[in-house]
Amino acid sequence: MLNVVREVQIPLLAALLIGGCAAKGRRAITERSIEAGTGPTATFPLRLHRPVAIAMCASEFALGIGLLVTAGRFGASPLAMAVRVATALLFCTAVGALHELRARRPDAGCGCFGELSDTPVSWRTITRAALLCAAALASIGVRPLHMPGSPGIAAVVITVTAAELAVLAALSPEVGELMARLSHAEPCELRRVPVARTLTALRASSPWRRYSPYLISVTPSDVWREGCWRFVVFPGVLASRRVDVVFAVYLTGRRAPVRAGVLDVDSAPPLHAPIPVPLQISNHV
Amino acid sequence: MRWKEHFCAGYGDMPDLPIYVRHERRALLRAAVFGTRGREAGPASANSVLTGVVTGVSEHSLAVHGEAGEQVISLTQGTVTWLGARATPSALRPGDRVIIRHRPWRMGAGSHAPAVAERIWARIGRVTGTIVAAEGRAEHEFLVDTGLPGRALERVVVAGASLKQIQVRFPRLSAGYLIDVIGTRHQGYLLAVAPATAQPPYRAGHRPAPPLISGRLADPVSGTAVWHESGDEPAGLLGLAYPALDPETDGLSDGRAQDQACVRLPYLSLGSTVRVRNECTDRALVLPVTSRGVTARQFCDRCVECGTSPRGRVADLTMAAFVELGGNLEDGCFNATVALAH
Repeated sequence: MLNVVREVQIPLLAALLIGGCAAKGRRAITERSIEAGTGPTATFPLRLHRPVAIAMCASEFALGIGLLVTAGRFGASPLAMAVRVATALLFCTAVGALHELRARRPDAGCGCFGELSDTPVSWRTITRAALLCAAALASIGVRPLHMPGSPGIAAVVITVTAAELAVLAALSPEVGELMARLSHAEPCELRRVPVARTLTALRASSPWRRYSPYLISVTPSDVWREGCWRFVVFPGVLASRRVDVVFAVYLTGRRAPVRAGVLDVDSAPPLHAPIPVPLQISNHV
Repeated sequence: MRWKEHFCAGYGDMPDLPIYVRHERRALLRAAVFGTRGREAGPASANSVLTGVVTGVSEHSLAVHGEAGEQVISLTQGTVTWLGARATPSALRPGDRVIIRHRPWRMGAGSHAPAVAERIWARIGRVTGTIVAAEGRAEHEFLVDTGLPGRALERVVVAGASLKQIQVRFPRLSAGYLIDVIGTRHQGYLLAVAPATAQPPYRAGHRPAPPLISGRLADPVSGTAVWHESGDEPAGLLGLAYPALDPETDGLSDGRAQDQACVRLPYLSLGSTVRVRNECTDRALVLPVTSRGVTARQFCDRCVECGTSPRGRVADLTMAAFVELGGNLEDGCFNATVALAH
């Protein structure tokens, strides 16, 4: 059982190292800067940011590939031992660097997985690095890997892998960020909605048909937005008095709700008592 | 389609009403639709902040000429004065522009007793924007574009004694990078004495993509509140520059793209009201949106005044609002939440 636990560490560590390098590379490409999302490089002098960032990424990639290449028949060779010791050293150094980063730049993320790692370094991130350091130490001296000999052993391997991944996920703030990106559905408050579309929805609404006979101009005197609602005001005449007719148009949905109110131009109280509906963020109507 | 063209053409010609007139009218019109008038207090007025120009200084009092005329403020041993650094009130000179946080005189001293100054900031200024050029000997002078249309470039001179402190937080003092420094105002320039934040690693205009938000938007939204100098606004104005104005109705007049800020905020308009809470002092105010948070959108920084705030600036407050909410101007920021006020 213990041997199975130790053997599982090698592919897991390799996957994490290569994944971390790929995420850093992706960020460097999208932001056109190798230093973007610096992480522990922020603790170095400016002139060293770039070389340190490149060295970090390159060492992660080299160790990840090295772990995979030396996992099989070269598993008992000195090269495999060297790669695993170097991996353990990398993660032990990471524990210290993250602790230092947290003390000196409490606002900075670890940058471990590129733009997913913008959350400030916390005890979770440091514990994860410590756990990976322990995993790398455990992998030293593991015999060459081979396919499981029986379904029972395969089940143990899968169980151990799943358990360790669950622990790592619990220690990774990146998981929450990733989930948010995968299940993306933008709230209406954040959507850009052209005024013309608002006016189309208004024109098709029953409040418009009810109040349009009282308008003296179809040119809005004011248009503004508050979250999911856009307000459109028109000058009008009602009962021989100058009024402002205001429409509130909800900015999402196929048949967007529209509400209307009338306000005397010169006096404060509304002429028509409105329906007391609270105006809230993400108010579903 | 003709009615739509007429709508849009007419709206484009709408007169530019003063912000307070617009806010008051919009609040009434909103109430006419939703009946929300009175559910939330209107915009706050300053109770503990005085801005003005020093007209006289004595050992125990300070005379200040502000919007309400001449006022006398008591000084005590506990009064903290800032003039580029901690100083004594005796360092103040007539003509110095000051902003003061005060409290009423203690009970029993009579209703006409002058208020007591808790903190005084003299000649304090801040420049936030993009470095356009570095000039002067040893390149300690900069021209900074604050991003506001029609506003001239700001000249910033870094005080020699503060250069290392500023370079620690702003290592790239070269054209194209962002700068945010606090200092003292002098004739035509700001003498920078302290960094207001840490420099973003990206060049201006190349900030990371804003985070994706799924489902419902957090209410309130947490982040950093900073302050800006009044510029064309009244010195004692309580308000904020909002980083997410509706690009369809409140876009920049020069047509520049106005994408979302680093922190995702609901789109609002000039004159909308928001409730801003200082999480460090637990003080909250309802404030009107009085200007565009052009530079606030550029920064994806955090405030660590009390814990670590989420990334991004949610409000760029006027100086008076920042002080009224309990913030200390020389700190540059406080952890804040922002919610729509109705």
